[in-house]
Amino acid sequence: MKNYDAIIVGSGAAGGIVACVLAEAGKHVLLLERGPALTFAEVGRDHLRNQRLAIYGHNAGPELIGNPRVFVDPQGRSRLVDPHELDYHNNAACVGGGTRVYGAQAWRFHPDDFRMASKYGVPEGSSLADWPISYATLEPFYERAEWELGVAGDGNIIQSQIPRRRNYPLPPVPPSPQTVALQNSARALGWVTTPVPLLINTEVYRGRSSCIGCKYCVGFACPTDAKTGTQNTVIPRALATGNCELKTAAVAEAIETDDRGNVTGISYFVTSSGTPQHETARARMVIVSAGAIESARLLLNSRSSLHPAGLGNEHDQVGRNLQGHLYPRAYGLSATKVFNGIGPGVTIATIQFNHDNPGIIGGGMLADDFIKPPIDFWYDSLPPDLPRWGIVNKRFMRHNYTRVLHVRGPVQDIPNPEGRVSVDNNVRDKWGIPVARLSGTTHPATVEAAEFMRERGEQWLRASGCEKVWSTQPGLILSGRQHQAGTCRMGNDPATSVTDEWGRIHGHNNLFVIDGSLHVTNGGFNPVLTIMALAFRSAEYIAQMT
Amino acid sequence: MNSETIRAVVDCLIPPDDFPGAYEAGVCNYLDRLLQTDLAEHADFFRAGIDAIDTEALAQYNARFEALTPDQQIAILAGIDSGAVKTSWPVAPSRFFEMLVNTTAEGYYSDPQQGGNRGCASWVMTGFEEAVES
Repeated sequence: MKNYDAIIVGSGAAGGIVACVLAEAGKHVLLLERGPALTFAEVGRDHLRNQRLAIYGHNAGPELIGNPRVFVDPQGRSRLVDPHELDYHNNAACVGGGTRVYGAQAWRFHPDDFRMASKYGVPEGSSLADWPISYATLEPFYERAEWELGVAGDGNIIQSQIPRRRNYPLPPVPPSPQTVALQNSARALGWVTTPVPLLINTEVYRGRSSCIGCKYCVGFACPTDAKTGTQNTVIPRALATGNCELKTAAVAEAIETDDRGNVTGISYFVTSSGTPQHETARARMVIVSAGAIESARLLLNSRSSLHPAGLGNEHDQVGRNLQGHLYPRAYGLSATKVFNGIGPGVTIATIQFNHDNPGIIGGGMLADDFIKPPIDFWYDSLPPDLPRWGIVNKRFMRHNYTRVLHVRGPVQDIPNPEGRVSVDNNVRDKWGIPVARLSGTTHPATVEAAEFMRERGEQWLRASGCEKVWSTQPGLILSGRQHQAGTCRMGNDPATSVTDEWGRIHGHNNLFVIDGSLHVTNGGFNPVLTIMALAFRSAEYIAQMT
Repeated sequence: MNSETIRAVVDCLIPPDDFPGAYEAGVCNYLDRLLQTDLAEHADFFRAGIDAIDTEALAQYNARFEALTPDQQIAILAGIDSGAVKTSWPVAPSRFFEMLVNTTAEGYYSDPQQGGNRGCASWVMTGFEEAVES
């Protein structure tokens, strides 16, 4: 049996970076990915089956058949859900993970996002806590992610709130008509706006093309490879060293331990030429980077007589505090056309309301939106008082698809320990592995902040001269979805956290979690750049361990 | 399921004006394909609902749905939409109607590879794609 220096489970935002850093440091790495490496054509342009609108299926895995989860609604009723259903809380399962099909907003968290409990106190029923590291500790690794992968933006404008030593390597995406409308109204309101930082090449960068302005960023793959994921940056670098072996269609079953409880490797199912095999690989180090739901599931499914509740779960912390973001959405009908058909579509944001809002814990960023295909717009964006059918509906689509201004944003989640991942031993996937069971909701304080942000969205649109403004607001729900985080959070106290500040599972020398699971809180921003920065920091630490 | 009925129904949901209505845009092709694939499990439900529209038309106006005036057609569909039906329905009227409205919009506004949105008509109409001058 081959013996690796490290096995990494999952090739997404974090796993790809860890593989690259370790392989370039001369470590022999096995990178397991449950999905395939998807070509542009395989991801496709299906408007009804993609990562953003997944009515009948989706385009980046996992397969619809044989991969159920159990979802428990707020009333306590449980049911089976398939990967394309909203309650599945899916993230893509392919090489690059979510970064293959995401929109690629590349925000740093705000310094106060790392000290939420100190800043606001802990509301009753919440597990709100400070991170064990500060923004200043992570800052060099944000910079490294921005430069090694390539972020376009202008960091100077919000330098006083989110300080940085170095600007982004690429200029921001150009403004659109809606940018001008929103910028002028924000100025009148006294709000500072900034271009949205994106992991998208606005110029040729590190050998990859620049953006051609197509309309298909979020939910789809990029036709010119200008959208940056781990699949077209750090994973090719890892493979180029000759030190990294990437196995696709490889589904982790459990982390293996010896009779003293030490981690020795991974058992997994791998399919090649259609035939599934059960294999075990040994390594000095195991790193779990499968996303907040699947990473927790793997730890919980790694049970033995010494770890009857799963690895790292002595204090019943693994899988708790599942969080993502509630997204209030506001829409306004502009007097003039604001759509120019040039993607990505998201251009302008304000971080005016991420903190220090009266009576509110946290807050969030607000931005305009990615271009929505018409059917997505029809489902998502129509005014609630518009008839759903008939000539009036058609005329609205005809005259107003290009006139609707969109503002939305992720609201800082106030974690609830009862919002959680557990495993259901009575429901198994096609490999026979117990599936993830999702239950609970975010904390009510998140809904209060979301309501505050919905009002700010409407305020921005009214100030932009919109003759009609409407909005939608999520209620008290589980907020995980693509921004899923928090299930193996970092901390200094093993009773209230799962890992130390490096992602090392308390009580284990050679078992790490590195992905969004580590986030103690998930910021009022898209979380991917923070996942990447943490991955660089932890991977560098691991590379120096041996 | 009467093909004239479904044709008249989808054209009532997305009527023709100087842009194609649902039928001309290929929505019936889209629905045919969907009912044989992703919605195969719900095909009987869907067809029973379409048949019930005709039953409703016969009960209220003594004619099949496609033979009614536009105002009569709209009145029939509005009744189903709100659950105010005059006949005994084999399926839940509102649930059926929601599926009908959603799938019709999907056929009309999604990508032409699905079978509808012939010639990208709705994309030109909305401005999602520019019309190519010929």
